[in-house]
Amino acid sequence: MKAAANAIKTHSLSRQLIGGVLLAELLCAALFSAAAIGHEMHGRRRAFDVMLRGRADSLLGAVRDAEDPEDNVTVDPAELVLPAQDLYEVLSPSGRVLGHSPASSADLLAALSTPHPPGYFNFRVGREHYRALRFDGVRVIDREDNGGLRRPVTVLYAAPTWYLWREAVEAVQFYLLAGALLLAVTGIALVWFLRRRLSPLQELAAIAGRVSARSWEFVPPAAVLRTTELAPIALSMEELLKGLQLAFERQRQLTGDAAHELKTSIAVLKSSLQLLSMVPRTAEQYEAGLEGLLLDSARMEELVSRMLTLARLEEAPVELGESCELQSVVRQVAERLRPLAELKQVVLDVSAAEPLVVALPAGDADLLCSSLLVNALQHSSPNGRVSVLVRALDGVTEMRVADQGDGIPASALPHVFERFFRADRSRSRASGGAGLGLSICKAIVERANGTIHIHSAVGTGTEVTVTLPARQNSAQN
Amino acid sequence: MRVLVVEDETRLANNIAEALRERCGFAVDCAENGTDGAALTEFKHYDLLLLDLMLPGLDGLSIVRQVRRRKDMTPILILTARDQPAQVVELLNAGADDYLAKPFDLGELLARAMALIRRGKGASQPVLTVGRISLNTVEQTVRCAGDLIDLSPTEYRLLEYLIFRPRAIVSARELLEHLYDYNWQHHSNVIEAHISNLRKKLRAVGEETSIVTLRGRGYRLEAPEQQL
Repeated sequence: MKAAANAIKTHSLSRQLIGGVLLAELLCAALFSAAAIGHEMHGRRRAFDVMLRGRADSLLGAVRDAEDPEDNVTVDPAELVLPAQDLYEVLSPSGRVLGHSPASSADLLAALSTPHPPGYFNFRVGREHYRALRFDGVRVIDREDNGGLRRPVTVLYAAPTWYLWREAVEAVQFYLLAGALLLAVTGIALVWFLRRRLSPLQELAAIAGRVSARSWEFVPPAAVLRTTELAPIALSMEELLKGLQLAFERQRQLTGDAAHELKTSIAVLKSSLQLLSMVPRTAEQYEAGLEGLLLDSARMEELVSRMLTLARLEEAPVELGESCELQSVVRQVAERLRPLAELKQVVLDVSAAEPLVVALPAGDADLLCSSLLVNALQHSSPNGRVSVLVRALDGVTEMRVADQGDGIPASALPHVFERFFRADRSRSRASGGAGLGLSICKAIVERANGTIHIHSAVGTGTEVTVTLPARQNSAQN
Repeated sequence: MRVLVVEDETRLANNIAEALRERCGFAVDCAENGTDGAALTEFKHYDLLLLDLMLPGLDGLSIVRQVRRRKDMTPILILTARDQPAQVVELLNAGADDYLAKPFDLGELLARAMALIRRGKGASQPVLTVGRISLNTVEQTVRCAGDLIDLSPTEYRLLEYLIFRPRAIVSARELLEHLYDYNWQHHSNVIEAHISNLRKKLRAVGEETSIVTLRGRGYRLEAPEQQL
């Protein structure tokens, strides 16, 4: 048992289920988080761009008349409230720097002013990443006097993106944490739920494990029967076990019966011997005793040989191709038994018109016919008649053996095929039977997939009907 | 003593009956089935019932129950080819006194049969004594102060039956019923003749113990008062 368990790698259904579901959940959480993070980042980047544009616009608003002779414009830093880490530059169309973020280093400004087409672009200075916007705008100065003065300028505005990344990391952290938490909660719930739902399976296994050759008790619990997937298994197991138990008990009963018969036989033999040797006896007494002992041992031999025949018949089915011709077998057996019929003053009447091949080994067919005929003859009274009819019916071969004897009482009729059953024990014993004749007939017929039935009425007689599957190809062989 | 053997295996029944007659000097009746056996027990002629367990008609256990329900105290010995403990317990609890599993030893069967009979009659050992007379049920011998008295089988059986119940009146009918089987022609004067021979043989050895005839009532084994 243990070795088998070791040899076969076992795996738990519930563990596999839980593992599978958790894996699916993990995958789901990962995909969802990735999608959410992507979506979030996209939104934030757009918001960043909008913010960049807004700040650049307010920078444009800060462009002023420089009040100088060339009538230049300048950027008035006093009007601007912009984050200190941002950098900007305002250029005139000729490329002259009109103003720039005061705190910015020359490197940064140089990086910002490298030529780019108008629009958003990214650049890097040192380890700092920046996103920048370049656009050409027109600043209208002194709108009040004759429509104002239109000054075209190029605005360059950049802001570092590190805090965008920080926010991204924060979002990822949040999603991961939330995902893990959800996974843990649903995982625990899943384990609990699966354990609960799979409990009928465990109950079934526990109950099935308790079944043994000594205890056949198998009652599937209600929870198992309510489970669609388990109910058929449980029911078929129950059915199977009931059948097995029945077969087991029948076997036990048979062994008991066989032991009973054998022990009784031995008891007869032993007591006869002990009686004979109890006191000194005359030669005639010894002779009579020995004769009785011979008869006893012959009966025991008969009993053993019949038990062995029965065991052989039940061991294996008829081999394919084994067959014999029934008509000639019946005629041979009838000829052999004619002296017995004459002795009992019984007419033995065989009617078998055509050769019929049946799937029976010749020896078994002989045993079947002689058992049925001897039975019929033994139960016939003088001037009676025993008739044997062999004929072909629809796809089967039928044999009927009928006598006009005393018949079998209705109460005994259902048991006549049971082993060691004797309707009238003392008489059957006296005529040498062990109650196995009809059991052997039944075993022979059933081994060849045939049927055997008995009809009997007290005072009228008994008729045994045997049907055997016919062999089509055969009448000539 | 008279024993009923109920056994469907006639060869076995005959062997047992023969052994009981030869070695114990018992009268034996045989029945082949439970129904006949149960009917025979109703006469209460028997000093022991020997029953097979598996019988056609009525099984051994049912017969035991029937007998005990009538308050019949006759000892019962069961023969069985099935000796599962549960069955033995059931049998003994139903009122059987002993059992033997087949195939049994004939000598053991006889010893158990005799032991059951003497127990049933209140004796615990095989040698019974009245006055100077001692009767050995195993050897089937009778001695007077150590000297063997030569008795015929019938005389021995008469004395054996009476010696179990000294001083009690035993009717001629009871003696007939318990000493002869059904194959015997019943004549009470046969008893009278055997009693008279027995009496003579006891007197011949000078024994004071004697069998008294009480006309119309029966017989009584009497020993001198102080010797009982």
